[in-house]
Amino acid sequence: MSKSEKGNGEEKGKVYLADLDTVAEEAKQMLMKGTIGKMVDWANAFSLWPVHLMTSCCGCEIGAAWGPRFDNERYGSLPWVSPRQTNLIIVEGTVTKKMACSVRITWDQMPYPKFAVAMGACSLDGGIFYNSYNIVRPWQVIPIDVYIPGCPPRPEAVSRAIIELQKLLRNKSIASKWITESKREDMKNIIPKEDLCGWRGEKVDLHTRFT
Amino acid sequence: MVGGEKKLISIQDSLKNVLKDNIISIEQAKGYIDVLVPTDKLVDSAKKLKEFGFDHVKSVTAVDYIAKKQFKITYHISSYLNEELSKYIIGLSTIINRDDPHLPSLSKIWVSAEFQEREVYEFFGIIFDDHPDLRLLLLTPVVAALKPLRKDFVVKEESDNIEVDYAAYNATKWW
Repeated sequence: MSKSEKGNGEEKGKVYLADLDTVAEEAKQMLMKGTIGKMVDWANAFSLWPVHLMTSCCGCEIGAAWGPRFDNERYGSLPWVSPRQTNLIIVEGTVTKKMACSVRITWDQMPYPKFAVAMGACSLDGGIFYNSYNIVRPWQVIPIDVYIPGCPPRPEAVSRAIIELQKLLRNKSIASKWITESKREDMKNIIPKEDLCGWRGEKVDLHTRFT
Repeated sequence: MVGGEKKLISIQDSLKNVLKDNIISIEQAKGYIDVLVPTDKLVDSAKKLKEFGFDHVKSVTAVDYIAKKQFKITYHISSYLNEELSKYIIGLSTIINRDDPHLPSLSKIWVSAEFQEREVYEFFGIIFDDHPDLRLLLLTPVVAALKPLRKDFVVKEESDNIEVDYAAYNATKWW
């Protein structure tokens, strides 16, 4: 319905109290603060699907954590290949300056509400590469919810991080806040995407390369 | 004395026959022979070694002799097809000037040298002339401009006692 038609509506005997979009928005806000918001948090907590993004050597521990012995799938968490169907990034260890761009692109492709776990000493403060010329701290690239210390952390520690993230989700209702506010406050402090992917100026012409 | 070392000496002798005047010095130890050739005869000796049976480059590396103002570039070559040569690794080295590091590329003789020459180019700033595709491989442009594997690049921890000018590092964008 266009705005010009609304004025004529009263003459025909119909009364329009408010714009339909604003009413729907207010109803959404009201419902999300109550039971539906809690349900969203509960549902998100038991479907944390990490994307398959192995930045470094802690990826071996991730493999063990979702394997048959430690079986993180019992918490409702399932590793998945595509960023479009997932809502969790586990940054495994070191992130180099070129890989930081890929991490950020993956994060941008994921639908919200989405969460991030930083794993290992390298992702806390550089680890053994703390003074290297070519690394980035993951918390400069994406907002991190849970940190796992260790070099590398045991698979049990990964399970613990999943449980802690579930607690965080349900106590602080992060997932429903994503829907009502459609943004995160801690996104402000991270490096902008133009800086992260600024080195990708040069295009490769594969046809002329081997002639 | 193992049998392997006797064979190594025989390979060293045959290398002397193949390369002849190109050799400045030749040394051997523990299954490894190092041949030093002048830079202008590098391509010629590489062609001769390929005809002799060495068909691939295992690694390309550079050593920074900052006091002598020299770079020593070493091509580690070996063979897949020749059974006797495949047990040994030969180092084909050359010494170039540190101030103006230029070198003929061997990637047209051994294709496997192409990527590794690019790596040496970005970490040391050594330019391989007539390389088919001399672009950055692993590093971002700002980091590659620092030439991080040269001896005069100082990492943050070591810079506590030495005064380092980080203006170039900080002035540009962070990548």
